[in-house]
Amino acid sequence: MRQVRTRSIFVFVLVLLFFAGIIFFTANISINSGSWVQHIYNWHTSGNGGLEKAGKIFDRNGVVLAQNVDGERVYNDDYDTRLATLHVVGDNSLNISTAVQSVYRSELTGYSFIWGLEMPETFRGGNNITLTIDSNACKTAYEALGGMEGAVVVMNYKTGEVLCSVSSKTYDPQDPPEITEENEDEYVGAYLNKVLSSSYTPGSIFKLITTAAALENIPDIDSRTFECSGSAIIGGEKVSCMSSHGTIGIDDALAQSCNIVFAQLAAELGPDKMTQAANKMGINSSFNVGHSPTVKGHYDVKDAEENDLAWSGVGQYTDLTNPMQMCILMSAIANGGNRAEPYYVEHIGGGDFTKQYTSEKNGTAMLESDIAQRLNDMMRYNVTSNYGDYMFGGELTVCAKTGTAEVSDSEDNNDAWMVGFVRDEEFPLAFAVAVEDGNFGISTAGPVAVAAVQACVEGLSAEE
Amino acid sequence: MDSFLQSLNIQVITDIAIVVLRILIPLLGIVVVFQCYSSMRRQRRDEKPLIMLENKSNGQILPVLCWENSVGRAKRNDIVISDDLAVSREHCVILRRKEGWFISDTGSKTGTYVNEQKTQGRTPIYINDEIRIGKDTFVLKRAQDYTDVNRSWFYKKEGSKEGIAPFALMMLISIFSLFMATEACLSIEATDFQPLLVFAVFMAVAWTFYIISTKVFKRVGFELEGIALFLTSIGVMLSVRQGLHQTYVQIIACAIGMGVFCFMIKFLQNPDRVNKWRLAIMAVAVVLLLINIVFGSVRGGAANWIMVGGVSVQPSEFVKIAYIFVGASALDQLQTRKNFIIFIIFSAICIGALFIMSDFGTALIFFGTFLMISIVRSGDYKTVVVSAVGAVFGGLFILRFKPYIAARFSSWGRAFETADDLGYQTARVLTYAASGGLIGCGLGNGYLKYVAASESDLVFGLVCEELGLIVAVTIAIAIGGLFFYSRAITTKSRSTFYSISACCAAGLLVLQSSLNIFGATDILPLTGVTLPFVSVGGSSMIACWGLLAFIKAADERTYSIRKR
Repeated sequence: MRQVRTRSIFVFVLVLLFFAGIIFFTANISINSGSWVQHIYNWHTSGNGGLEKAGKIFDRNGVVLAQNVDGERVYNDDYDTRLATLHVVGDNSLNISTAVQSVYRSELTGYSFIWGLEMPETFRGGNNITLTIDSNACKTAYEALGGMEGAVVVMNYKTGEVLCSVSSKTYDPQDPPEITEENEDEYVGAYLNKVLSSSYTPGSIFKLITTAAALENIPDIDSRTFECSGSAIIGGEKVSCMSSHGTIGIDDALAQSCNIVFAQLAAELGPDKMTQAANKMGINSSFNVGHSPTVKGHYDVKDAEENDLAWSGVGQYTDLTNPMQMCILMSAIANGGNRAEPYYVEHIGGGDFTKQYTSEKNGTAMLESDIAQRLNDMMRYNVTSNYGDYMFGGELTVCAKTGTAEVSDSEDNNDAWMVGFVRDEEFPLAFAVAVEDGNFGISTAGPVAVAAVQACVEGLSAEE
Repeated sequence: MDSFLQSLNIQVITDIAIVVLRILIPLLGIVVVFQCYSSMRRQRRDEKPLIMLENKSNGQILPVLCWENSVGRAKRNDIVISDDLAVSREHCVILRRKEGWFISDTGSKTGTYVNEQKTQGRTPIYINDEIRIGKDTFVLKRAQDYTDVNRSWFYKKEGSKEGIAPFALMMLISIFSLFMATEACLSIEATDFQPLLVFAVFMAVAWTFYIISTKVFKRVGFELEGIALFLTSIGVMLSVRQGLHQTYVQIIACAIGMGVFCFMIKFLQNPDRVNKWRLAIMAVAVVLLLINIVFGSVRGGAANWIMVGGVSVQPSEFVKIAYIFVGASALDQLQTRKNFIIFIIFSAICIGALFIMSDFGTALIFFGTFLMISIVRSGDYKTVVVSAVGAVFGGLFILRFKPYIAARFSSWGRAFETADDLGYQTARVLTYAASGGLIGCGLGNGYLKYVAASESDLVFGLVCEELGLIVAVTIAIAIGGLFFYSRAITTKSRSTFYSISACCAAGLLVLQSSLNIFGATDILPLTGVTLPFVSVGGSSMIACWGLLAFIKAADERTYSIRKR
């Protein structure tokens, strides 16, 4: 009978494996429960279910963006503010997956691994969340969009605080539309925070990347001159320019956004160096903003003909960039090559504990410091020589670049961009604006960028 | 003070009560399982030898400690006669039956002699008989004092205080169930007293079983039954807010299971009688499987159901009991390797039939049990390697010809990524399990119950969601503990038939629980088997009680009459 006992060691091992599995599952659920509960199909939290006892959401100035009044979730009193902050704050549903009310729902509703999600109401206490955004700046930016669709983002490039983030198409979280098959065309993209989750053809703003590649790889680039006669044949096909710039250096070429120069540069640099520069500047990467990732941009010239490569250097071909990603790139140029780590959530906490979500990753290098400084100066020259300082009210030292991406033959169907930053110490703001179905970058995205930046400057001035 | 009293309205009082219940339920669950095993660890026969063999030439004493003892030259035997090449490695077996002591030669080269008569088959032996094994002659003597050092870690030291009384254990389980029923009455979606009614019916069944067990059969222990009732009560109470009909069916199945349990213990009383019935049991099992193949209807991808008079039955569940019957054997039959070929053929038939029914989860359980039984019987790892290779080919065969099984593999480990199609069930299990936290959302407050198969295949997720992780882990420990208990009593059993069947029945239950728990939680591919005693399912419930009977029968206390 001892033999039976000895041989049962095989079964013994199986039973140990069973317990190992149970321990694995217990560890797994203990570590990951916070993210496992965050799913759109979780009926404990979706619908109105989870928010009855949720905490309040404040903007940086203590303005209440969402709170509970008699068991109902009530958003900001002002209609435009509600629409402007929808994609950051979110609504009762989990439809906007990157919104604070979706990502931090378990913190808001007071979920804890010990008590689960269905504590009786008496004991349910949610945490308040304070955001870094300035709801007033968001409202101003939203109103400046004037019904156009697109994305606006302004952040402090020293700290990474996102001050203004607006995405349109939007809707009122107090009265969310029921999106059906009949009206879905009207609400395309309404559930997307386009700042994080959309990418657009960059057009001329991509010339910044081509410039950086040229500065790094072509030693005599500063002394070189180029010829622009309004169009050129590269790789057997035509590349056209907005005007005929004649003999022109690299600084003026960027200021006047000459296609010919940058198309030639891209063709000269070749696919490897262009791709290397784009990758280094994060075009093909995703960045985390709090717990939400940005969509990746796109720069891929593996299979490009020479003419395609030339067009890719001026932000056409298959190029795509994301507004937040461009804003991060602006922070790197403004900071001497080191990018800021953007975040929306200043802190989460109610009662005794406060979780700090501020970032420690600021300062990852994206550019060599001399190249960053050179780009910084060139972008400043864009403003002084081309757009004019009066555009931003005359008192700010703004560095910027506009872009107009042709996505179809129609002239009013462009992706209009303006990206840049403010040099002034007291207003370290980087911004990116992308407007869909716009006209030109300067005329369509420009006023929105101006409004957003000025509102942020106003807000920061008031804080001091 | 006034404002404090004002704030204590009905709502607040109810909420406090709910939270207190939610904390008490897991605590009491732990206490029940702890008391059951703690009590099992205390009850242990004194390690006194039953008889002894005295070497006639040098007076050396060999104690005979077990009910069945292998004798031979190899160290693994219960009684080792070393340094004598005339003794075979496994020479003979000395065994005890109701009629007295027997010796049975198991194919030795030199034979076994009783009073100088060469033995054939089982030969009765009496005190002062002379038994010649190899060169030496031994005299059978009555036992004297002897202390065994070979004891299992499972048992507590002697002299520790008494284990919990069966009555107290039943009371604990009743209170545990009452707490669950009360909590279910206070659930969000429905507030009525149906759960208390279900509680009353279930308790009537449980207490009747308790009284029959202790008063009519006069059994000493109630710990195994306690574990089963604990698990069953969780399954029943989880089911109340999902459907009343299925809940009552579950209780009826539990009552039938208890009947099967009592019958089997009676039937297993004589291991030699069981041996005579082996072929008949096998035939019945094969017929059951054939009926299933011919008349089976498809449910959830597998054709493992038949309708009998308006009741759906899963024959493969009952075949599990038959399988253990056929697999286990008394020691002398074990050593002569009788019955082993029959067992292998029977295994092939069972697993083949399950393949035809496309019930791969159950086929996997049978295969795992086949490995367990083969190794425990023969210690032959070659068989295992050969079978495992066969199983791998079989598995590849399934993947090739059954694309929906391959599809399950494709979503395995990626529940959340495939949450909209193939990972639908597992993603929801994980989300809702996490939503329950440690103490659960409360009975009836879960949402996993609206997902298909949540009461059976996904029941572990339902436990996590509604009763919390603590209860879920307690369930796993309760089931896993069955094996440690079975292993601890192997050398105390009245025959290797019992020790093999107990170890392998417990192993089967643990294996089945693994497939259920890890399948639902995306650690293994989802196979769709039930969690013993907890999942809703009549046939499964009855089979689990049947398997538990093997473990009960292996405990020698089961057949000893209570002294009081």
